[in-house]
Amino acid sequence: MSETAVTIPVSVASARKPWRFTDSMIVPRVIVGIVILLIWEFAVRALAPAYVAKPTGVVLAIPKVLTDPVFLKATGETMASVAQGLGITLIFGTIIGVWMGRSLTFDRAIRHYINGFNAIPMIVVLPLFSLWFGYSGYTRFATIIFAAIFAIIMNVADGARSVPREYLEVSRSFRAGRLSVLLGIVLPASLPYILAGVRLAAGRALIGAVVAEFFLSIGGVGYYILYNSRSYHHNEAFVGVLLLAGFGVGFELLVNWSIRRFMPWYRRGDNS
Amino acid sequence: MTSQPTATVPSPAIADAEPRIRVRGLGKHYGALEVFKNIDFDVGPREIVAIVGPSGCGKTTLLRCIDGLLPHDAGEIMVGNERVTEPIAGVAMVFQHFGLFPWKTVTENVAYGLRMAGAPKAEIERKVPEFIKLVGLAGFEKAFPYQMSGGMQQRCGLARALAIEPNVLLMDEPFAAVDAQTREILQFELLRIWEERPTAMIFVTHSIEEAVLLGHRVIVLKGRPSSIHENIVIDLPEPRTRETLQLPRFAELRERVWSTLMREAREAEFVLER
Repeated sequence: MSETAVTIPVSVASARKPWRFTDSMIVPRVIVGIVILLIWEFAVRALAPAYVAKPTGVVLAIPKVLTDPVFLKATGETMASVAQGLGITLIFGTIIGVWMGRSLTFDRAIRHYINGFNAIPMIVVLPLFSLWFGYSGYTRFATIIFAAIFAIIMNVADGARSVPREYLEVSRSFRAGRLSVLLGIVLPASLPYILAGVRLAAGRALIGAVVAEFFLSIGGVGYYILYNSRSYHHNEAFVGVLLLAGFGVGFELLVNWSIRRFMPWYRRGDNS
Repeated sequence: MTSQPTATVPSPAIADAEPRIRVRGLGKHYGALEVFKNIDFDVGPREIVAIVGPSGCGKTTLLRCIDGLLPHDAGEIMVGNERVTEPIAGVAMVFQHFGLFPWKTVTENVAYGLRMAGAPKAEIERKVPEFIKLVGLAGFEKAFPYQMSGGMQQRCGLARALAIEPNVLLMDEPFAAVDAQTREILQFELLRIWEERPTAMIFVTHSIEEAVLLGHRVIVLKGRPSSIHENIVIDLPEPRTRETLQLPRFAELRERVWSTLMREAREAEFVLER
């Protein structure tokens, strides 16, 4: 929508005066990217030992890493854990958030605890979790949930609290029951907030998983990166890092796609 | 400013019918602030009563009390044989803000009232298209509110209210948020639909023209706290059409409501809005 709003003045401008590379959004971005990669490449070649990761090394390592069963198993483990953790987080976070948003008593009862827990860095609870759940996937799972759930709760609570009064008035006028108001009005009206929470939570869940794998030395992408860094396979480690970045971008695209597909009525103000 | 006697004049439309809505001695406070008091009026089963009054006179509050959305603290409201303390079946409201759910299509929005009333699926699937057609939205069944103009959105709000086949329709400044031309179109659409499916209707509005055009009676609310200042029978011929607007009698009645209201409006202009 705003894409056309952007391209029209650009094409009009380019018809009038000679084309300048600053007119395009993409050209400057690509140039900055290339410059960063070049600096990195030549700095490493000139100053660092051969095992330090450099762009050409990383690119050459990609096919090898992506076909490495160890890497694939590690990726599968991390992603499965993140997906399950996010699923559980989404369900319970939404329930608690909606409850907070619609009940002042419940909100008052737990608000400060939620804020408090949210302020605790996940890294400091890891030693405790590892004692409670052992050096295992359970601790990673707990860390993911701890890292992600408060973002969802706080966003959903905001959403449930700010359901427009008009909607509630209409549902009361048509004699909707309490449950029907919660599921039929409050939940869909909070969807934009739930999605904002999920975006935030997905990033945090991934960080939680990787940090837990670092700390616990249990199988997963985080451990793969750690192991390869320590054994002078920096290029391979960096492919793991790229995968995490790719996951972040991919998840964002997935959320945006599902908004367009399933919530056409919900339009964000911008798209960059 | 001694209050004139509020004559409960039977209008031709209700001459010998049992009133559908009976409001007696109604009063309402917001904390220390008294919004209205001693409100008495009846609405016949096939009668449109328009309520006009200056901004902040509590006409919308009065309508919300009658719908049971707000509690009242004096007097009583009877709809049929039921005493109103909360929203009751058979009463539907059309809102100034439309109140459509943005995540629902026209079809789903129109079905909402029926679904809440527990209508069986087959009945919903039969009735919803019928009422979409009645309000002139055929072809827009799958549209979302954001894709429609204000006028179309209010048609949808009207269809949602009509779909439960209410015997009381409460209209809360339904056309206040649409542009002037659309408003005029919707007024005559409403008259057409009412001719087809007459109900008891209370129509709250700012517009004197609208009140006189649509109402069989016009009630003027005045004062702080407000009460019924005049209850004017609108003896214009039925059905009301665009020609009605040209009648000398229409101008006369409009002037009568206008003079009552403007006296009040000038006083109200210098009171801070709450």
